[in-house]
Amino acid sequence: MPYPPLLHRRYEALVAAAFVILGTSLTPTHLAAQWLRYPTAGVPRKPDGKVDMSAPAPRLADGKPDFSGIWTTGEPFDRRALGLSSPKDLAAPKNSQSYSEPQGPGDPTAIVGSRQMANIGIDLPGGLPYQPWLVPIVKERTDNLAKDDPHIRCLPDSFIREYGMPHLQKFVHHPGLLVVLSEMNAWYRQVFTDARPLPVDPNPTLEGYSSGKWSGDTLVIDTIGFRNDTWIDWSGSVVTEAAKVREEMRRPDFGHLEIKVTVDDPKAYTKPWTVTLKQRIVVDTELIDEICLENEQSLKHLK
Amino acid sequence: MKKIFAVVLAAGFLLLAAAPVWAHHAFAAEFDAAKPIKFKGTVTKMEWINPHAWIHIDVKGEDGTVTPWMIEAAAPNALLRRGWNKNSLPAGTEILVEGFQAKDGSNRGNGSVITFTDGKKLFVGSSAGDPGAAPGAPAK
Repeated sequence: MPYPPLLHRRYEALVAAAFVILGTSLTPTHLAAQWLRYPTAGVPRKPDGKVDMSAPAPRLADGKPDFSGIWTTGEPFDRRALGLSSPKDLAAPKNSQSYSEPQGPGDPTAIVGSRQMANIGIDLPGGLPYQPWLVPIVKERTDNLAKDDPHIRCLPDSFIREYGMPHLQKFVHHPGLLVVLSEMNAWYRQVFTDARPLPVDPNPTLEGYSSGKWSGDTLVIDTIGFRNDTWIDWSGSVVTEAAKVREEMRRPDFGHLEIKVTVDDPKAYTKPWTVTLKQRIVVDTELIDEICLENEQSLKHLK
Repeated sequence: MKKIFAVVLAAGFLLLAAAPVWAHHAFAAEFDAAKPIKFKGTVTKMEWINPHAWIHIDVKGEDGTVTPWMIEAAAPNALLRRGWNKNSLPAGTEILVEGFQAKDGSNRGNGSVITFTDGKKLFVGSSAGDPGAAPGAPAK
């Protein structure tokens, strides 16, 4: 039976007041959450509202695939499930029953590193083909649980390593330039796609110098000019100043990025090697600064 | 009303434990899995800072002495994404902390589970949805 009109209005007023009181106390969190979960524009969705991962990839103004988006590894390996974490925790083999690739977009509340994070050559028969001088170095770095990892010293990571780290990265893609931003240490990388030649005798840097050109819908990126001893995984595998790295990057559908990485570094490896690193899209979230130098406390305690 | 209740409930369950989503260093290099810790404490301060948030607690011993501990948590961005913010653990909050002690024996720990006085448990959210998930367990 409906309430009498006056009682109904008082009831409505009380409910409204309750909402205001509760809403006011919750407002700061709610507003912060709005920013964190701001809906990403242009996401194709299925009738049930879920992201349509297999929808066609978007295109740039020049018709080429658009790699823009926030990405995380498409081959996560959740070390947290073990409660422990070290470079010795290698992922299960790809063909094992305990492993399968996730189908949906990345979950921003559960960002994890990749299968390749501990050692980027995990899927190569025999592992990475280290030069003899590098073998004992990688062994020592793994044995001492990477206590000398530049990442602990709050240095930015090489883009090769970044593909497998548990930090979100955002690709901002325009004809002529692909910019990659990482929330870890306000990191950036530029890939020029304006046909500029690579530098001669480059000044070594952490990310090197990248120039890319299209081969059909695949962006072929060449990078040189790395610094010596640039770590490319948690085991302390490296690239040196002699490295030439080629990425063949493609976006087969909306939700996925595939990057075939070939490292040709005769100073560090006995032969070139190739791994394919997969990424999957993360939507309705945003990068949030993680600046390691603010209060790095671990270094002084590491034994 | 239902909506507000749902939001509050969701916020409560989203307050996940102080376990790191991923340490920027190897866990085993700094903490000892053979030295589990489990004690009640009162929050004195929450340091909301990178690369790890720290929960400072006072632990009262049986003899009444109070010992300060600091418990390592995930980076603020990871905690924010799970519904925490810098005001989530105000001073005075009583919690039961489970985790592992630092290798150097100091009063520092790496947290895994927090239990509130009302019994609500905040677990590590492993991607497979189970803290005891097997190695290589798929993410959700």
